[in-house]
Amino acid sequence: MGWKVSVVLVVTGILILFALGLGNDPRVIPTPLINRPATDFTAPALDGGEAIHLEAQRGRWVLLNFWGSWCGSCLQEHPYLIELGKKAAARSDFVIIGVDFRDTIEGGRAFLQRYGATGYRHAFDPEQRIAIDWGVYGAPESYLIDPGGRIRLKHTGPLYAGWFEQVALPLFAQGGGS
Amino acid sequence: MTAVWIEVGHFAALTALVLALLQTGAGIRGGVAERPVWLRVAKQAALMVAVLLTVANLSLVISFLQHDFSVRYVAMHASLRLPVFYLATALWGGHEGSLLFWVWLLSLFSAVATWRHWTTHPRSLPWLLAILGAILVGFLLLVLFLSSPFERLFPAPADGRDLNPMLQDPGMVFHPPFLYLGYVGFSIPYAFAMAALIHGRSGAEWVLAMRRWTLFAWAMLSTGIVFGAYWAYYVLGWGGYWAWDPVENASFMPWLTATAFLHSVMVQERRGMFRTWNLFLIITTFALSLLGTFLVRSGVLSSVHAFANDPGRGVFILAFMAVVLLFSFGVLILRADLLKSDAARLDSLVCKESAFLFNNLFFVVAALTVLLGTLYPLAMETLAGAKVSVGAPYFNKVFVPIMLGMLALMGVGLVIPWRRGSGRLLLRELAPFLPPALLAPLLAWFGGVRHPYGLIGIGLVVFVFATHARDFYRGVRTRRRQEGVSLLSALGRLIARNRRRYGGVITHLGILLMVVGFIGSGLLHQERDLVLRPGDVTDIGPWRLTFETLRPVARDNWQADEAVVRAVKGEVTRVLLPQKRLYHGSPQPMAEAAIYATWREDLYVVLGDAVGEGGRAFRIYLNPLVRWIWWGAGVMALGVGVALTQGRRLPRRKEPVGEG
Repeated sequence: MGWKVSVVLVVTGILILFALGLGNDPRVIPTPLINRPATDFTAPALDGGEAIHLEAQRGRWVLLNFWGSWCGSCLQEHPYLIELGKKAAARSDFVIIGVDFRDTIEGGRAFLQRYGATGYRHAFDPEQRIAIDWGVYGAPESYLIDPGGRIRLKHTGPLYAGWFEQVALPLFAQGGGS
Repeated sequence: MTAVWIEVGHFAALTALVLALLQTGAGIRGGVAERPVWLRVAKQAALMVAVLLTVANLSLVISFLQHDFSVRYVAMHASLRLPVFYLATALWGGHEGSLLFWVWLLSLFSAVATWRHWTTHPRSLPWLLAILGAILVGFLLLVLFLSSPFERLFPAPADGRDLNPMLQDPGMVFHPPFLYLGYVGFSIPYAFAMAALIHGRSGAEWVLAMRRWTLFAWAMLSTGIVFGAYWAYYVLGWGGYWAWDPVENASFMPWLTATAFLHSVMVQERRGMFRTWNLFLIITTFALSLLGTFLVRSGVLSSVHAFANDPGRGVFILAFMAVVLLFSFGVLILRADLLKSDAARLDSLVCKESAFLFNNLFFVVAALTVLLGTLYPLAMETLAGAKVSVGAPYFNKVFVPIMLGMLALMGVGLVIPWRRGSGRLLLRELAPFLPPALLAPLLAWFGGVRHPYGLIGIGLVVFVFATHARDFYRGVRTRRRQEGVSLLSALGRLIARNRRRYGGVITHLGILLMVVGFIGSGLLHQERDLVLRPGDVTDIGPWRLTFETLRPVARDNWQADEAVVRAVKGEVTRVLLPQKRLYHGSPQPMAEAAIYATWREDLYVVLGDAVGEGGRAFRIYLNPLVRWIWWGAGVMALGVGVALTQGRRLPRRKEPVGEG
């Protein structure tokens, strides 16, 4: 009889463990930056226009999205970013800044041309200065910065459909210092 | 025109889902009502599913060959510059396609099983069809609705993202299909086991079918694992072949339980013992195969093998696995008593039966240690919120003693008789092997081996080899005496007369060769990290290496720095050309190791980054006896091949024939 009980226990134990484990993302590397003031940067823009200054967005929620034209998963999240860009354009409290890092200017521009413009602007960071300051580990990675200039969230890997409603809006609702 | 194919495939896969549902329903109906009409419906459905999924897979391959980048999966895993060979095999280069490939294999197996066992297993067949149909439905739902390879991109990009450069290697091309053949292959013996539990007949026939399918799947899984190790060794460029990565472990666990099954099923055939245990083993093997699939695709564990993470997909796979596990083990627990062994006692402690029992103990404990080490980080992260990783040190510490135990049993098990043995008899049989088995470690000690496991391992290898060699020797001598034929033809006849047994013995010899390779490369390897400028000279072991020059090279879809390294040992001179490749579409440079391999050792040179002015980092390994591992795998494959050719002509003894 004993073995029957043990089999049941082991099997359900493993299943429960998986069910619990499903929620955590193994690629989340704990970042010490959460709830710290965001590191400011001023960088040339990928479109060649006016330089991009993070601090200038103070007072709004900022989604900082690190990507590169060499990164396959960035292509995966790209359609969602286009959609998100439209959302940001329609709201006054939310902006998106892309950071194209470890890339060539041609590569970055060609990517946007081929897969669609995002409707928001991108900083160009070929030497990975911003990426290193921000502790970027891979691509894509995204940070959410509150209106008070604090980093509230780091997302590793592609953003997925529904992310804004499920993750960002609740944070907006909590509010963030000014 | 190009776009049409993929839609044909998509439609075929959708139709296959409907027919797989029909297959399941008709199978159950046929099993419950014992009406052959329903059984025929299920059979036709199974055959049609196989045809339709063949079409679906072909459509994806054609889309690859036509560079149809309007197919999202093609755009993600191919490019215009990708060589044709990799275009055709990119089918299993990513999550969606490999899953489609998985279901395709399952449908083929289910069709072959239907056809092969149609007349021989009338009792099991309806349930076999129902269970395979249900698994097909589960996987097809996943393929079609949560990770569809048929998804389209509008507008279609002009070029794709290219196949992951790590996968652009022949070793990698063959690694996944063999692994899948193994994983999917276990679904047939699993379905037989479930069918046996459901219909409750304990005939001998399904045992034989189960054994053969398991042997086949086991051979495929072994080959797949070895290809993976080979690929890691030649492509990843870290000088090793096995890293105890969670996904490697996931393929190793079913291998261990299947190996246990292949041994203990012999006891069931011979003596009618271990029935429930064998069913447990085979169900566990399949469950572990599913677990492997789950671990790779749900994003629960991080690993070099992991596919992109998607919560919805993870939930589905988990739910599917929960259903399969709870159903299978539930049925086993409720119905096991129907199949009680008739002669459930061991006659003596010293007999082949008990040797098999110990063998099973070792294999199951080994599988448990691997399971524990694999799941521990997940448990820690989930329950305690801590990031830990369990790596080679744990596994080597726990696993090597178990492996040595298995090795010892391999020698003893062959010598010990069935039913009734005695300690005295065993000692007398083993006595001639003890002196060489003790002498070998002594020689190795003088040869410079100091590690206790290495010394024990060497002794055991000699011991096992001697027992196996004498087994052959005795058989051949008897044949020669009786039939007066030459040595070689006596050996040939010996093997041909009892292919199952000698296939097993040959497989053991293959394992032995591999163990020699493990000991050599695990304990005696040397490694050197250094920066060289052109003209610099360095020594490793007996080799003198000269870094002569650095030059650029380019091929279809990559360009590289190539170092010219001259290696000299005594009379032997070899030029090694390690490369640092940059594939277009990927920023990650790939090190292409240069290897000079002999039976004695591998000289393994990896080119690193530029350091300082004109300097290049190098990593040089001297790995003794690595080739023995690949040869051993070849011998193992030969052994399984021999064992598989012995079909149904098993001496039937007095067991009842047939099932119904």
